[in-house]
Amino acid sequence: MIYEHEIPTGSKLYFGKSAKLKREIEGVASKTFEQRGFEEIVTPFLSYHQHGNIAEKELIRFADGANHILSLRADSTMDVVRLMNKRLGRSTTQDKWFYIQPVFKFPSFEINQIGAEFVGAKSLSFGVDISSIIFNEFELTPLLQICNINIPNIIAKKFDLDIKIFERGEIEKLFCLGVPWLDGLIKTQSLEQLNSVINLAPKEIQNELLKMREMDEKITYRRVVFSPLYYARMRYYDGLFFRFIDKNLTLGLGGNYECDGAKSAGFALYTDAVIDTILKK
Amino acid sequence: MLSVALPKGRIAKETLDIFEEIFNKKFVFEDRKLILKTSGFKFLLVRNQDVPSYVLHQAADIGVVGLDVLEEKEEDLVRLLDLGIGRCKVCVGVKNDMEIDYSLPEIKIATKMSNIAQKYFSSKAMGVKIIKLYGSIELAPLVGLSDAIVDIVETGTTMKQNGLKAVETIMESSAYLIANKNSFIEKKEDIISLYEKISKVI
Repeated sequence: MIYEHEIPTGSKLYFGKSAKLKREIEGVASKTFEQRGFEEIVTPFLSYHQHGNIAEKELIRFADGANHILSLRADSTMDVVRLMNKRLGRSTTQDKWFYIQPVFKFPSFEINQIGAEFVGAKSLSFGVDISSIIFNEFELTPLLQICNINIPNIIAKKFDLDIKIFERGEIEKLFCLGVPWLDGLIKTQSLEQLNSVINLAPKEIQNELLKMREMDEKITYRRVVFSPLYYARMRYYDGLFFRFIDKNLTLGLGGNYECDGAKSAGFALYTDAVIDTILKK
Repeated sequence: MLSVALPKGRIAKETLDIFEEIFNKKFVFEDRKLILKTSGFKFLLVRNQDVPSYVLHQAADIGVVGLDVLEEKEEDLVRLLDLGIGRCKVCVGVKNDMEIDYSLPEIKIATKMSNIAQKYFSSKAMGVKIIKLYGSIELAPLVGLSDAIVDIVETGTTMKQNGLKAVETIMESSAYLIANKNSFIEKKEDIISLYEKISKVI
């Protein structure tokens, strides 16, 4: 039985204080992006292009008039980048875009996001800087976690390990290898620990650790930890990435990626998690 | 302070024994209390199957739970260390005079571990109908509710006493120290320090 007033599990309802807060966060974000040369893009709710980026079982799917599969937007990044490249590519020099729109996941999840894509970005630091300006406006100080997905990938290949060991954080299996620099990576959290392990690690790992340190040097946000072995299945982030966490929530996430041959960087703030965190302060 | 979710019963007792050995002091829950705060830890006594939920939602930073529960729940958690306690097997059991008949179009399995059972028979290209039960699993094949069961076997005595035998082992299990993913990032130093202390005594 479905009640008249029932809302589907995972969908979002904001009213009064929380709706006002949502609008304020989006307002601050929009102003911050515009001041930094970003232009807004609003992409269609329905998309033909979600397949390949997202596991099919996560999509809310339909068929169009010709029985082609289309789905509710489950991710904004690839649609934004492809639209910029294919439709606007020749007619604009604009390479920085932001969006404020929800994504949808099967069966009835609705996730409000504020995100930005920077085609050709040399550094990921813009994502941390803009996020921290927005967090600061609402007196939030989440923990910034700097990661590099190349490190677990290189180690998995070097020692012939299943990448799931990193995904599940099975440190027992890594300690068992008895490799001092790997023990150092497992324990690394602070800049001092990162610097120590950079001196111990083999060249290919050292290069990736230096990228993490370079990113830290480019940002002003200071509540930072380094997680060189953190691994999560990413849709497209293929190198450095970051997460802002507060207790059990991820407030934001960003990384480097390549789309249609263009090296780019992007990030998204999870508006619902940001609202939740502010309201529970 | 680290909060620790422990499964009620023998595994909680054995885990607290490990803590006693490390910290050289008693770790005992008072009477029927479910929370014990001592020596920088907050222990929570919860149902075995609920440990992953407490840790996933960060009501506890770390927890102790069987590998079988982790495989069944498939939650996004950090698996820190095999504690080597609570050893058991997840087995397929049938009546003493029966064998698993893979020529059947479908097999009926009674279990509380529906994901593990589903995956196991799917991997053998066997159609399976899962009947989810919450206890007295051994009864199901005896009264014709199922063809077989998938259940935890420690000594095999319960199955034997009910006229059943374990015919296939799906997995071996023991209790793991687990952590919440964000707690492992934020409290890494404390969690790894505890990991190292436990590793030395098990």
